[in-house]
Amino acid sequence: MPSLPVLKGTLDLLVLRALNWTPMHGFEIVAWLERAAHGSLDVEDSALYQALYRLEDRGLLDAEWGVTGNNRKARYYTLTPAGRAHLRGETKRWVRYADTVTAILTAPREALASGDTA
Amino acid sequence: MIRDGVRRLFRLALRRQDRWEHEVEEEITLHLALRAEQLVAQGLAPNAATDEAMRRFGPLSASRATLLDAARHREHHMQRAELVADLRQDISFALRTLGRQKGWAAVTIATLALGIGATTAVFSVVSSLLLHPLPYPHSDRMVFVYQEPSTGNNTGISVTLAPSADVIRAWIAGSHAFEALEGFASGPVSLRTAGEPVQYQGAQVFPSFPRFAGELPIIGRMFTAEDIATHAHVLLLGEQLWRSRYGGQRDVLGTSVTLGDSSYTVIGVLPSALRPPDVGGAPPDFWMPLDVNSPNQRMMLLGRLRAGITTAVTTRELDSLVARAGSVANTEIPFHTRLAKPSDRLRFRDSLAMLSGAVLLVLLVACANVAHLLLARTAARHRELSLRAALGAGRGRLFRQLLTESLLITAAGAALGVALGWAGLRILITMRPPSLDELRVAHLDTTTLAVAAGLTVGSGLLFGIMGALQSSTNSARSTVRSSAATSPGRRSERARGTLVVTEMALSAMLVVGATMLMRSVENLQHADLGFQPHRLYALNLTLPDARYATPAAQAALVSELTQRLKQSDAVRDVSVAAVPPNSMSFSVGRLEVDGEAAPPSSATSFTEVNAVQSNYFSTMGIPMVDGTSFTDTSAAARQVIVNAGFARTHWGIRSAVGHRLRVAQSDSEPWLTIVGVADDAATFGPTMESTAPLLYTPLREADTSAPAIMVRTTGESTALTQVRALMRTIDPHLPMTVVNVEDQMAGSIDAPRFVMRLLSVFTVLALALAGIGLYGVMAYAVAQRTHEIGIRIALGATRQTVARAVMLRGATLAVLGATVGLLAAHWGTRVIEHELFGVATSDPVSFAAAVVVLLSAAALACVVPTRRALSVDPIRAIRAE
Repeated sequence: MPSLPVLKGTLDLLVLRALNWTPMHGFEIVAWLERAAHGSLDVEDSALYQALYRLEDRGLLDAEWGVTGNNRKARYYTLTPAGRAHLRGETKRWVRYADTVTAILTAPREALASGDTA
Repeated sequence: MIRDGVRRLFRLALRRQDRWEHEVEEEITLHLALRAEQLVAQGLAPNAATDEAMRRFGPLSASRATLLDAARHREHHMQRAELVADLRQDISFALRTLGRQKGWAAVTIATLALGIGATTAVFSVVSSLLLHPLPYPHSDRMVFVYQEPSTGNNTGISVTLAPSADVIRAWIAGSHAFEALEGFASGPVSLRTAGEPVQYQGAQVFPSFPRFAGELPIIGRMFTAEDIATHAHVLLLGEQLWRSRYGGQRDVLGTSVTLGDSSYTVIGVLPSALRPPDVGGAPPDFWMPLDVNSPNQRMMLLGRLRAGITTAVTTRELDSLVARAGSVANTEIPFHTRLAKPSDRLRFRDSLAMLSGAVLLVLLVACANVAHLLLARTAARHRELSLRAALGAGRGRLFRQLLTESLLITAAGAALGVALGWAGLRILITMRPPSLDELRVAHLDTTTLAVAAGLTVGSGLLFGIMGALQSSTNSARSTVRSSAATSPGRRSERARGTLVVTEMALSAMLVVGATMLMRSVENLQHADLGFQPHRLYALNLTLPDARYATPAAQAALVSELTQRLKQSDAVRDVSVAAVPPNSMSFSVGRLEVDGEAAPPSSATSFTEVNAVQSNYFSTMGIPMVDGTSFTDTSAAARQVIVNAGFARTHWGIRSAVGHRLRVAQSDSEPWLTIVGVADDAATFGPTMESTAPLLYTPLREADTSAPAIMVRTTGESTALTQVRALMRTIDPHLPMTVVNVEDQMAGSIDAPRFVMRLLSVFTVLALALAGIGLYGVMAYAVAQRTHEIGIRIALGATRQTVARAVMLRGATLAVLGATVGLLAAHWGTRVIEHELFGVATSDPVSFAAAVVVLLSAAALACVVPTRRALSVDPIRAIRAE
């Protein structure tokens, strides 16, 4: 399966989504995204960390040091209430946008034309 | 999962830069390791897995730099956010806490505001008048230059001499010490108009004066050296006169105005901001050229010293210039140069120093009050603070919390205080007596505001830290264990007792001082002046040289004026003197009394003299205590009348009449024979000594160039108008000022009365604050002892015993404070000695008054706490514990 290119600005949203259920450390998030996307995302891993730091800076994420299942020290990220709200809002916008674009891209030509004249 | 609240602990450590840099590294390393493990699990060889992990991560060094950058930004941002959040939390917590204790907060803020307000108002005056007396550039280097006698001044007042024109010319030409040296002369001018002449204030200056003072003409030009050389009759208008009388029109330039007998061309307008160099003086209406070459021109001199030049060096230089010029003007007695800072010339100076001291005492009382209010509060919150400490609030956090609270309180107090100070200053300026007109220029300046702010922040920090330290030592030792919590209370109670005693002592000092000043003003009001100022007017004339050139012409005019005045129905009595009340004239030389050992020929002294007509004493209402008035006013008779103080010093109870004296500049000076002794007349008002030697000689033609016609009117309300009208019929353009002597005498005690009132206000303030302080201590003590009092009542103590115990504690504090205060006052009243009139610094009445006032205030402060103690219900009090 070919890797899915990540549209500009959507990485933040994906990261927030990844953390929606449970706090995770960086690699867990990467792994989760890859699993969810059924393959690797077309971004470098470092971009994900940049996104994490950015989101933390904006107060959408909170971070704390914890211990992994294998007793390794890792930085765990949690959604803050602000992050949760942001995720909700952005998801809604994204879905609407995607629906609109999909509708336009997939609509039969005459439907569009009649829509024009209507 | 990680527990809530763990993050904060880590965050503290995270602040250090190497720490979070290290963490970024750690995160990257972990990521690479986990990715490699994942790849190995998917079947890659370990080496290949590591490479693949690196590849997927991206170019390591570049992304590391980007991540570090992002992390740095994040950290800084979060630290700031955290700080703001903490501060907001502190403030909102403080506001909530204070809101629960509205009464306490109100009292504390009011106390601070009163202290700061009083200080701000008085310090504004100090700053405006003492620190920045002249509104000119580099005023710190400004000095007034004049001369004073090197020897012989036995008058007890400072005798200064405006340097003569040739001395000034020598100085201006030869001195290197000054950047600029400006002359200034001023006086009333009468503007001739269509109707009556109008009196205005005129000033004469050098052409360079506006530039020296940092101002320029609004319109037109300043006069030039050439104008002065050609004696051009030009002048500039003051801005205020220009706007009020000439409508602020530009076309006023070139018009002509007539002052006295001369007409001048208006060449410009000078701004109101250009102030005359007399401290606090009002801007003049007319600015005219000052000619340093005019032989009889007297002026005061103001100079700006070059940076780094001392007054001592300057004085020497000016003295040597006078010597070199061989000045002839003052050969009779030696004079030397004296430099004075502008603030030295302020009459209000001593009083201002005393008021500053008083207001400082008020501030101290306010501070003590705030201190013990905060201490009481900390003691009352002991349990809350201990509890919070026990629940894990860090000591630093609690410390900061308490500090925030006290800073909030003091900031509110300061804001209110500055407002109060501003209002107080306005009131003070509005209430100023005419003799302290310089107060007019006082204003709230940045220095004062800075001092007020400094005081506030300082006291806020101080009390905050005091309270915080006390709470932290307390919470370290005792914890929540005891509900009685008596042990920390004891110590703070003693500290607060000390503070209240201090407040009482400071108030006692103020009460003593204020009472003394009140009694002093009382004495001044009822002082016997030695003459009758009632309905007495002084008509001070300046006879214009142009029309009355010779002494004979002058004498003829004066004679005609007095004759006509005597015939008027409005006038009861008229007499002419060379010197009017509130002025002095001296004869310089050796004062020799025939029959007494002559003073050494080098000795000179200043003897006050006045030339008067024979009926002067009856007109003035000065009783003759011995002999008669002049019986022969001819020069050959050489009669003299002395004042009672002089007669007493030389002849005691024996009669002075018939004895001879002279003020000798040489041995050939003729002797004068005493024909009478006049009572000591306090013509300067009751504040000035009137027993110093004063010689009256008969008025002669030569003494009438600027005579004072003393007129006592009948009671008619139009008397003065009639006198003025009469004067105009004889010479409509005669420059004349009319002084109501009665008002003048009353005005002479305006200043002491004003100072006394201010001091009284401060005293009442201090007393009220001290009363609040005592009330606070007593109320707290009763509240703390409710349990104990309940037990006592239950065990049979009568209400009397309980009341007595409470009152006794209050009385102890008050008496202790009063004692300390009176002792301090006994020593401290010396400071106001020269402000007192007829009151000794050990005045028993004032001290007794202080005791009474203080104990009454204390009793008042104890009423409510005592009543509360009496109303303790034993059953409820005991059960409550």
